[in-house]
Amino acid sequence: MKRIVDVNIPLGPIHPCFKEPIRLKCEAKGERITGAEVELGYMKKGIERIMKGRPWQEVMFLAERVCGICSVIHNMVFIEAMEQISDISVPPRAAYLRVIANELDRMQSHMLANFSYCYTIEHETLGMYLLDLREQVMDELERLTGARVTCAYIIPGGVRCDIPKKEAEALPANLDRIEEDLRRYAGMFEGGPMIALRSRGVGLLTLEAAQRAHVVGPTARGSGIAVDCRTNHPTYRKLGFVPITRTDCDNYARVMLRFDELFQSIDLIRKCLRELPKGVVRGGGVCKAGETRYSGEAPRGELTYFIKSDEFGRIVEIQIQTPSIMNIEACCHEMIIGSDSIADVTSTFVSADPCVACTER
Amino acid sequence: MSSSLVWYIREFARAEWIKKFLFAKTAPLVTPTHFRGFPEPTGKTCTHALFCMMACPAPGAIEVVHAGDGWMPKIHKGHCIRCGLCVEVCPNGVLKSGRIRETMGREGTSLLFSFRIAIDKDLCTGCGNCCTACPVNKQADAQMGAGGHSSNDDVIMRVQEGDIVVIHEDKCTGCKTCEVSCPNGAIRIARILEGYQQPVQEGLQ
Amino acid sequence: MNILQRIKNTVRSRSIHVAYVDVGSCNGCDIEVLACLAPRYDIEQYGIYVHNNPREADVLLVIGAYTPGWEEKLAMVWEKIPAPKAAITIGNCPISGCLFDRKGSFVDPPVKKHIPIAAEVPGCPPRPTEILQAIMSVRDSVFANWEEEHP
Repeated sequence: MKRIVDVNIPLGPIHPCFKEPIRLKCEAKGERITGAEVELGYMKKGIERIMKGRPWQEVMFLAERVCGICSVIHNMVFIEAMEQISDISVPPRAAYLRVIANELDRMQSHMLANFSYCYTIEHETLGMYLLDLREQVMDELERLTGARVTCAYIIPGGVRCDIPKKEAEALPANLDRIEEDLRRYAGMFEGGPMIALRSRGVGLLTLEAAQRAHVVGPTARGSGIAVDCRTNHPTYRKLGFVPITRTDCDNYARVMLRFDELFQSIDLIRKCLRELPKGVVRGGGVCKAGETRYSGEAPRGELTYFIKSDEFGRIVEIQIQTPSIMNIEACCHEMIIGSDSIADVTSTFVSADPCVACTER
Repeated sequence: MSSSLVWYIREFARAEWIKKFLFAKTAPLVTPTHFRGFPEPTGKTCTHALFCMMACPAPGAIEVVHAGDGWMPKIHKGHCIRCGLCVEVCPNGVLKSGRIRETMGREGTSLLFSFRIAIDKDLCTGCGNCCTACPVNKQADAQMGAGGHSSNDDVIMRVQEGDIVVIHEDKCTGCKTCEVSCPNGAIRIARILEGYQQPVQEGLQ
Repeated sequence: MNILQRIKNTVRSRSIHVAYVDVGSCNGCDIEVLACLAPRYDIEQYGIYVHNNPREADVLLVIGAYTPGWEEKLAMVWEKIPAPKAAITIGNCPISGCLFDRKGSFVDPPVKKHIPIAAEVPGCPPRPTEILQAIMSVRDSVFANWEEEHP
C-alpha cells in the first residue's frame, strides 16, 4: 500500500522567487498542498509610530516609504486626506497631473508584478520584455516628477512641478509605442500554451471565497468583484472610469487583468493629456485640525488612511490599511490550498502581487 | 505546442527584432539632467536662514556649516534622500538639484514657511527659560534677565505676571531653541509649510 | 603570481553571483536592484548573475534598515556564503537608517555593526547605474589573489 507522507515545507524568508522576506509554511500530502500559513515580521519598522507628531512635509516622505513600489499612491492618499481635513481645494490642472503620475506609477507596478509572475513560472523572455518596457514607463515618470521611485510629487494644494511643454507633447507618442509593444506581450501571454499550462486553473479563488476573504484590487477583480476605489475619486469620475473584471478566478485571470488595466491606464493618461486644463498647479493652503478616513486605489487594491491632526497640521494619530494584508491572507488560506504541485505555490503567491513592505510597515 | 512555436517564430522573425539583436548596443548609462540628484551649490551666498534644515525630512541629511567667511549647506550622503525640499525652500537659491530651480523660476512656484508658537498653559511654569534662550529676543532686548521679564515691546515673547505672553509670533524664525530649553516641554513650535504659486502668465502653457 | 591564480582572477571577475537580502526596507531599493536585470542596464553582460541563493553567491546585497526580525538571521545568511565574499549595502537605510532611524521605530542601523560591509551605495533609492558601479568596483579588489592572501 502506498504511504502518503505529510511534509511541512517552509518557503522563504530568502527565496529566489520572493523579492521580500516572507515565510510560507506549506503542509503537503505528497505534492498536493493541504494547508498553508504565512509568517510575517521580517520588515516591521514601526512607520506609524514615527509619523506621530510630525507635520506633512515629513510624514509625506514616510508615507511614500511605506511601500517603494507604489509610492505615488501613498503620497496621493495621504495628501488628499490632509486636504480633506483642511478644506484645501486643488487646482484642476494639478488634479489631472496627479492622475497622470498615479497612472504611470500603476503601470510600472503592474508591469513589475507581471514580470515577477513570468519570472516565477520561468518564462524569462516575456519577463525581460516587460521589465524593459517598464524602464520606458519609469523614464516617463522621471521626466514628469524628477525621480524614478520615490517621486515626492504631490503636496497639499497641488503638485511639485508642472509637466514641461516638451514632455506633454512627447508623452502621447511614447505611450503609443509602449502600447504597441504591450499589445504584443499581452498576446504572447494570452496565446502561450505553456503559460496556460502553468496558469489556467491554478490558484483558484472563487467569488464566494474572495468575498469571504475580503480581497481587494486586481485579485478581487480577477475573481469577478468589481471593487475599485477610483470610482469614488472626483477626477477619475470626470474621466469616466469604469473598473474591469474577469471571471476566470485563476492566476491567468489575475495576470491578464493587470494587462487589461495597463491599457486602461494608458487610455486614462491620454484622456488626461487631452483634457488637461490650463492654470496654476499649486493652490496653497495650510493644514488644519481634524480627522478623516480616506481611501484610494493602490495598484494592489484599496488603501486607507485614517488621520487625526492638530491645529497646526501635525499628525496626532494615523492608521494605515494597506491592500496586501487581505490579499496575502486570501492567498495562503484559499488560493494555495489544493495546488497540485509545490512549484505552483510560488507562482500563485506572486500572482496576487503581495507587497510585504506595505503589509508590515 | 505547435502554436507556441508559431508564437516564438512570429516574435523573432520581425525585422525590428533581428535588427535589434544584431545591432543594439547598451545605451550609454548616463544620469539624465532632469533627475533630482544630490543638491549642489549654485555659488550664491547663504544667509543662514536654515530653512533647508527645517524642511529636510531626513534626520541628519543637511547641515549649514562655516565655509570661509560665510555659511554653506553641507549634504551628508547616506542620509540625504534627494527629495529636493531644501532646494525649493531656500530663499536665496543656494542649492540646485535637477531642474527644480528651473521649474520654480518658470512657474513661479515656491514653498513658504510660517512659524506658530503653541504654549501649553497647564504645563508652563512661567520660568522664562524660553524667553532668555530665544535668539531673536536676545537681539531685540539684550538686557533680558533670567526671569524672562522685559519692558521692550519688540520681543517675541516675555513673562508678564507669571504667565508667558507671545507678542510677535511673526518674528519667530523657527529655530526651536525654546523647545530645547523648556524643562517641561510646554512650548512647541509648529513649522508650517505651504505650497504657493504666483498666478500663471498667459502663453506659458 | 602563478598562472593558475591569474586564470582564477580573470574568471572570478567575470562571474559574480549575487544574492540579495531585504532586512526591512521600503521596497524602493529592491525594485531598483530588479531594474538592474532589465535589458536597459543588463547586469548579466558584466557577468553578474542574480540568483538570490546565499550558498552559491559571491556578493551579498543588503537592503534595508535592519529590523529586529533579522537579529542573528542576517549573520547566519552571511556565514552561509562561501569565501571569498563581499557585502554591499544598497541605499540609505543600511548606512544611516534613512527616515526610519527615529525615536520610536524598531530599526537598528547601521548594518555595518552586524556584518562586514565592503561598499556602500548612498541614495534613496540609488539609480541602477549606481548599484552597477558599486558591484563593479568591489569585484576586482575583493576577489583578486584571494588564495595567496588567505593561505
